[in-house]
Amino acid sequence: MSDEELAKDLGPFAALTIGVGTMIGAGIFVLPRQAITDAGSFAVVSFVLGGVIALFTAFSASELGTAMPKSGGAYYYVNRALGPFFGSIAGWSNWLGLAFASAFYMVGFGRYIQNIIGVTGSLELGIISIAWVKIIGLFGAALFTFVNYVGAKETGKLQNVIVAILVVILAAFTILGTTQANVANLPAATGYGPMFATTGLIFVSYLGFVQITSVAEEIKEPGKNLPRAIIGSVVIVTVIYALVLIVMSAAVEPGFIAALSEQQIAVVEVGRLIFWPLGTALLIGGLLATASSANASILASSRINFAMGRDRIVTPDLNEIHDRYGTPYKSIAITGGLILVFILLANVETLSTLSSVLHLVIYALLNVALIVMREADVPEYEPSYTVPLYPFTPIVGAIVSLALIYFIDPRVIAIGAGFVVFAGLWYLFYARSRTTRSGVLGDWIRSRSDELPDAAVSAAASVEPDANDYRVMVPLANPNTERDLIKLGGAIAKHHGGTLHAVHIVTVPDQTDLQYAKEHLGEFDGDTAGVLEQARLDAEEFEVPIETHTVISHRGFEEVFDAATTHEADTVVMGWGGNSHGSPGRIESAYDEVMQRLPCDFIVMKDRGFDPSRVLVPTAGGPDSELSAAVARILRDAYDSEVTLLHVADDETEGREFLDEWAEANGLPDATLRVETGDVEAAIERAARDATLLSIGATEQGLLSRLVSDSLTMDVIDDLDCTVLLTETAHDRSLRDRLFGSR
Amino acid sequence: MAKGQFGHVLVPVASDADAESTAEALADHLDADRVTVVHVVEKAGGAPDKAGVEQREEAAAEAFERFEEAYGESVETDIVYDTDVADGLLTAAAEVGADALAFTPRGGGWFERLLSGSVTRQLLDETDRPVVVLPGGDQ
Repeated sequence: MSDEELAKDLGPFAALTIGVGTMIGAGIFVLPRQAITDAGSFAVVSFVLGGVIALFTAFSASELGTAMPKSGGAYYYVNRALGPFFGSIAGWSNWLGLAFASAFYMVGFGRYIQNIIGVTGSLELGIISIAWVKIIGLFGAALFTFVNYVGAKETGKLQNVIVAILVVILAAFTILGTTQANVANLPAATGYGPMFATTGLIFVSYLGFVQITSVAEEIKEPGKNLPRAIIGSVVIVTVIYALVLIVMSAAVEPGFIAALSEQQIAVVEVGRLIFWPLGTALLIGGLLATASSANASILASSRINFAMGRDRIVTPDLNEIHDRYGTPYKSIAITGGLILVFILLANVETLSTLSSVLHLVIYALLNVALIVMREADVPEYEPSYTVPLYPFTPIVGAIVSLALIYFIDPRVIAIGAGFVVFAGLWYLFYARSRTTRSGVLGDWIRSRSDELPDAAVSAAASVEPDANDYRVMVPLANPNTERDLIKLGGAIAKHHGGTLHAVHIVTVPDQTDLQYAKEHLGEFDGDTAGVLEQARLDAEEFEVPIETHTVISHRGFEEVFDAATTHEADTVVMGWGGNSHGSPGRIESAYDEVMQRLPCDFIVMKDRGFDPSRVLVPTAGGPDSELSAAVARILRDAYDSEVTLLHVADDETEGREFLDEWAEANGLPDATLRVETGDVEAAIERAARDATLLSIGATEQGLLSRLVSDSLTMDVIDDLDCTVLLTETAHDRSLRDRLFGSR
Repeated sequence: MAKGQFGHVLVPVASDADAESTAEALADHLDADRVTVVHVVEKAGGAPDKAGVEQREEAAAEAFERFEEAYGESVETDIVYDTDVADGLLTAAAEVGADALAFTPRGGGWFERLLSGSVTRQLLDETDRPVVVLPGGDQ
C-alpha cells in the first residue's frame, strides 16, 4: 500500500459514526422533556426542521470537503474562500462552539450519572453551592480531556461500538414503544412560535456532521465517502430523532412528560414505563452517548486549533505535539479548561443554545464560502461532489441558518454576537499582522477593482492580511527552466522572508470557452499538476514556502501582468526564450499596451543553466541596474557568488570614481570593479566570458521591448554563453526600499 | 573507544527533542555510511487519530530538521504510517535494506507503557536485524 493509503484509514462506516456519534449523544438523551413541554406534538416537527436546516449545510460542507480534504474542516474552507477575517470568526466560533457543546454534553453526562447513583441537590461549600450534576460534569470533562491528552488510541474504536449500541437501543425503544403508542396520546401542538424556539433549543443535536470535515484528510476516498458520511449522518439522526420523539409522545399519556421534574430524564422515564429494562438500557446509552459526543468534540477542536495555528490566526505554539503521547496536548488542555469554566458558569440551555448560535454562524459562512468558490472560478477548486440545485441550496442554507438564530433567546444571541465581535477584533489586532494567506474573495475583488464599487474594494482591502508578506511570483510554462526559476525566485523570497507563488498559465485558443477549458484542462495542457508539483518539491528542497496557482486564459503573456496584480507580487521572476510564454509574435503585440506600467519588479531569465558562482553586473546607473545589483547581492548572500561590476566610461578615472561610489551605495563594496572604455557591447561580451551569470538592468526603454527589438542588449544576450537576468523595476514605485529592502 | 561501523543505519525519531539527543548519540558512537531517519505516524486504524496527519507530518519535518542540525550532515528521511510503531519501523528497515537499527530508548514510566506498550521492548523482541541501543535517552 502507498503511504497515502496508509495515512487515510477511515472507511465509510468510521466516517459515518463520527457524525452520528457526535450528534446522537446530545439532543435526544437530554432535551426531549423540554422540547415536548414547550412545543407539544410540534416537538417532532422541530427536530425534523432542525435536520432539514442542517441538511442544506451538509450539502455545502460535502462539496467543500471533497474539494479540500484538509485538516481543520469548516474553518479551513471559510478561511480559504472568504479570507482570514471571516476565517478568524469561523475558527473561533467553531472552537468555542465545540467547547460549549462539550460542556453541554458533560452536564447531560452528569444528569445520567446522577440518575444512576441517585444523588440530588447541591454541594454546599460555605457561601458557594454547586449542583451535583455540575460537579459530576466537571469530573467527566476532566476525564475526557485527560483521555485525549494522553491519546489512548482505543477510544477511537470504542466510538464505533458505542454508536452501534446506541442505534440498537434507540431502535428497540422505537419498536417496543410503537406497540404501546396511541395517537390519542399525542399532546396538542402549541403553535409555530414555540416550535421555532424549540428548533433553536434542540439544534445542538445537529452539530456533529461538520466535525467529519475536520478529519477529512484521514478519510479513504474522500470524494466518495465524505459526502456519504456527512449527508448520511444527518439523514440517519433526523430519522432516529423523529421516530423517538413520536414514540415518546404517543406511548405515554398526555401530561406525563410535562409532569417530570427537571432532574428526571424523559427518554429514560418513558422507557421504564414501556418496559422496565429498556429504561436501564437507555440510562447506560445516554451515558455512552454524551461521553462519545464530548470526546469527539474535544478531538475535533484540536484539529481546528491546528489549522488556525498553521495560518497564524492563533499562535502555532498551541500545536506542539507531546513528546510521548503524540497528542496536541496544549490545545487539548486549553479546550478542556474552557469546558470546565463553561460548565461552572452557564446553565444547560445557555450552553446548548450558545453552541448552536456559534455553529449556525459557521454554517452560514460555509454556504457563502461555497458560493464564492464557485463564482470566483478557482481552477484548483475541483469538488468531486457538487451540491444539488446550485445556487438555490447554499443560498437557502445560509438564510435558514441565520434565520434560526433569530428564534434563540436574545441574551444568548448577544453573548454569541460578543464572541463573533471578539473574533473579528482578534483578527484585526492580533492575527492580521501575522497571517499571510488572503482568501479567494479578496483576490477576486482585487482583480475586479475597476468594475466594483470603491467601497467594496476598500472594505476588502481593510481586512487583508498585512504580515511581512513579500511575494515572488514565478510564472511557469517550460518544465526545463522551472527548477532554475524556482531557485532564483526562492533565493529572493527567502531573502525577504516571503513566499513563492508558482503560477501556471494555461493558454487556450480564443474560440474556446474558459469554463470548458477549466473542466477539460488535460486537453489544453497535459501537465499542469506536474509542473506545479515539481515546483512545490523544488521549493521545499530550498526551504521556501510556496503556494501554487493555475490560471486559464486566452492570453498567455499578458496574463502574467494580471496575475502579478492579483497575487500582489512584489517581484516576478519569469523565463524568456524558446517557447516560454506564448509565441514571440504575441509578446510583440502585447508589449505596447502593458509595458507602460509594470505592476512590480520584473526579473526575466534567459536560462542557460543556473550557476551563480560568478555574477557580472554591468551598470550605467539608474533604478533598473540598482535592481540588478540587488539581485547580485541576494545571490552573493545565498550562494557566495563572486560579483564583478562593469562600467563602460569615456574617461577611465571618472568611470572608476563612479563605480566605486555605485558599489558602495548598492551594498557591494567587496565586488571586483572593472572599468572599460570603448564599445559597450564588446566590453560586456569580454567581461561575460569570465562570468557564469549576467545580471543587467533595462535602461530607458521598457525591459520587454529588448526581448523583441534589435536593441544593443539583445544582441549581447544572444551572443553570450552564460545565463542572463534582465531586470526592470516597477514603474510606479518610488519607494524602492520597500522592494529591495534595507542593505 | 572505537566506534561501531555499519553501512546503512535506520534511526527512528519520535519528537524534536528525541531527534536531537539521538543524533548526538549517533554521531558519538556509530560510523554510518548512510543514515535514514524515520518517524512513525501512529494510526488509529479505522478511527480518528489523536492528532491530525498533516499536524504529525509537520512535527516529523521539524524533528528531521533538528536531527540534521545536531548530526551535522544531511540524511535521508522517511515518514511511515502504521498502527504499531515497532512494526512500522521494522517494515521500514526491511524496505530500505538497513543493516541495523539505532535508537535511544525513550524510557517512560509504568503509565506510558500501560498506554502504548514499550516500543523498545517490542523492537528488541521482534527485530530481524542488529539493533544498536544508544545511550543518552531519557533515562
